[in-house]
Amino acid sequence: MSPPFESQLCLSRPYLTKNQITYTQRNTINDRRTYNQKKLSILNFLSELCLKLELPRKTLETSMYFYQRYHLFNNFETELCYTIATSCLILSCKQVETFKKVNDIATLSLQIRNMIKISTDTLDSLKKMLYQIEIRILEACNFDYRINNNVHIDEYIVKIGKILKFDYNVCELAWLIAYDVLKLDVILMVPPPTIAMATLKLADALCDQRNWLPGSYDVLGAQKDLVDDIFFHIINFYINAFDLCDLKYHIPPDIVPISVERFMEIKSKMGPEVTMPDLTDGDIKFDYFLEKSRDFTTQERRYILSNEVMKEEDNALKNI
Amino acid sequence: MSMEYSKEKKVGEGTYAVVYLGTQHATSKRIAVKEIKTSEFKDGLDMSAIREVKYLQELIHPNVISLIDIFMAYDNLNLVLEFLPSDLEVVIKDSSVIFNAADIKSWMLMTLRGIHHVHRNFILHRDLKPNNLLISPDGIIKLADFGLARAVPGPREILTSNVVTRWYRAPELLFGAKHYTYAVDIWSVGVIFAELMLRIPYLPGKDDVDQMEVTFRALGTPTDREWPDVSTFPTYNKLQVYPPPSRDELRKRFIAATENALDFMCGMLEMNPTKRWNAIECLQSDYFKELPPPSDPADIKIFHD
Repeated sequence: MSPPFESQLCLSRPYLTKNQITYTQRNTINDRRTYNQKKLSILNFLSELCLKLELPRKTLETSMYFYQRYHLFNNFETELCYTIATSCLILSCKQVETFKKVNDIATLSLQIRNMIKISTDTLDSLKKMLYQIEIRILEACNFDYRINNNVHIDEYIVKIGKILKFDYNVCELAWLIAYDVLKLDVILMVPPPTIAMATLKLADALCDQRNWLPGSYDVLGAQKDLVDDIFFHIINFYINAFDLCDLKYHIPPDIVPISVERFMEIKSKMGPEVTMPDLTDGDIKFDYFLEKSRDFTTQERRYILSNEVMKEEDNALKNI
Repeated sequence: MSMEYSKEKKVGEGTYAVVYLGTQHATSKRIAVKEIKTSEFKDGLDMSAIREVKYLQELIHPNVISLIDIFMAYDNLNLVLEFLPSDLEVVIKDSSVIFNAADIKSWMLMTLRGIHHVHRNFILHRDLKPNNLLISPDGIIKLADFGLARAVPGPREILTSNVVTRWYRAPELLFGAKHYTYAVDIWSVGVIFAELMLRIPYLPGKDDVDQMEVTFRALGTPTDREWPDVSTFPTYNKLQVYPPPSRDELRKRFIAATENALDFMCGMLEMNPTKRWNAIECLQSDYFKELPPPSDPADIKIFHD
């Protein structure tokens, strides 16, 4: 008798809570410190690639989402991380319609990593790897193209800033803060418009403009607690890791000097920290989607977007 | 869990995919499986496959093909699509199928409803042709093949004009425009409408240069008067200038067409893209209000027993 054919059904969950992310990363990331350090290098590496290839911020943002998402379900290995990041950039170029030839991206990726003489064989074997990783990234995203499609943080900063009639300086500062946000887990937690709002709120506070009002959350119908939760995530990053931020090197001339103390002052004025309710480890343990690292050896792996399909399949199984 | 889908018969092969007919075991429904050739492209996963998934996930409409499922099997990417046994090209070419003005109206109505849905989701299809208008077993037209589709670009984004199958390509694309709109899809529908009435391709250019010749000979060369600055396109000066066809000439070409049908066609085949009808104007045209009413899709006999 032949072994049974295995099939796996995965429901897309494009955004996860903080605890879900931490729990999932336990399966894939052994050394969190190294992972976080590498993530900063990867952002620099991808930024350099984007700059040289004249790619916009949205391509960079999407590739950072892919990079972090990939490591929720695939093991983190220091030797491979630049190759994975390159593959993320290739895919994000396709995703946001800023297409570049793989040859150009791969060659530049090797050059930035100080490989001067690049043989055809080296390039070909790298490309082969990049294509294999590309599919894995898509699997980590459940082939859910609804995310990072038409909606990007920088574009929403401009849109929301215009609606709220914020100064150019405030929007520019929010745009700079949004670059630092790409280093954080928050891009796996909430969609870009929420992040855009949180960065604008912080920029408004840093410029001491006081134009962010209780009614500002109503633009796009955002959930106040969710925006504030992300706002505190970002401000905590600046307080706890100011040395790692890029903002301090790029503060526009018209803005008052920014320091850790300034962030601490803003935080204290904002009152008690807002955090969204989260799941406990006990709850997450029963979630098959997060409980184990992804098994790519299953013969058939199905990716669905609708909970309805999941229920139908569940009912069908019960009726067998 | 057991395998959900089976592939039974290969029915087509394109540059980036092989299409199979198959069955969904849980429901015994017929389905089509598009197996993407993941490893055979020099730039990795083909853009067409990415676009197809990206846009079909967004577009849920009775006149747009449904993407039922996506699965990886033996490291191949497979798209499970709704089973649609025929298309308008097959129907037009099959001389044993007889269709009338009401049937054409029904097909146009369904096509435009699908296009309206695509456009209101800020997507350009960019490859409309009879071959991409598939027909379900109960006669419903469904827009398919979103491999060339893209979201409406920002004002500074530059687009390629090398889209849409040649015979259905709008004049702005023939001129090599780097910025264009939903109007390119409407032009294609206009050409398809003419083809349905004539039962032969209306503007069959042999190559890209000939396509301009064929298009402008049939419909007149646009001038700056009705399309300001058209003469600034680099290829404009090489063109032979033809006058637009008179109403009588159009009546002779399309003998069975009513005045409203001719207005409808001319609205879609307007040279100036800013004056061309949009999907809403097409759907609200008098052509759909006059007799005969559109046929019930299930009553159109296109399948052989």
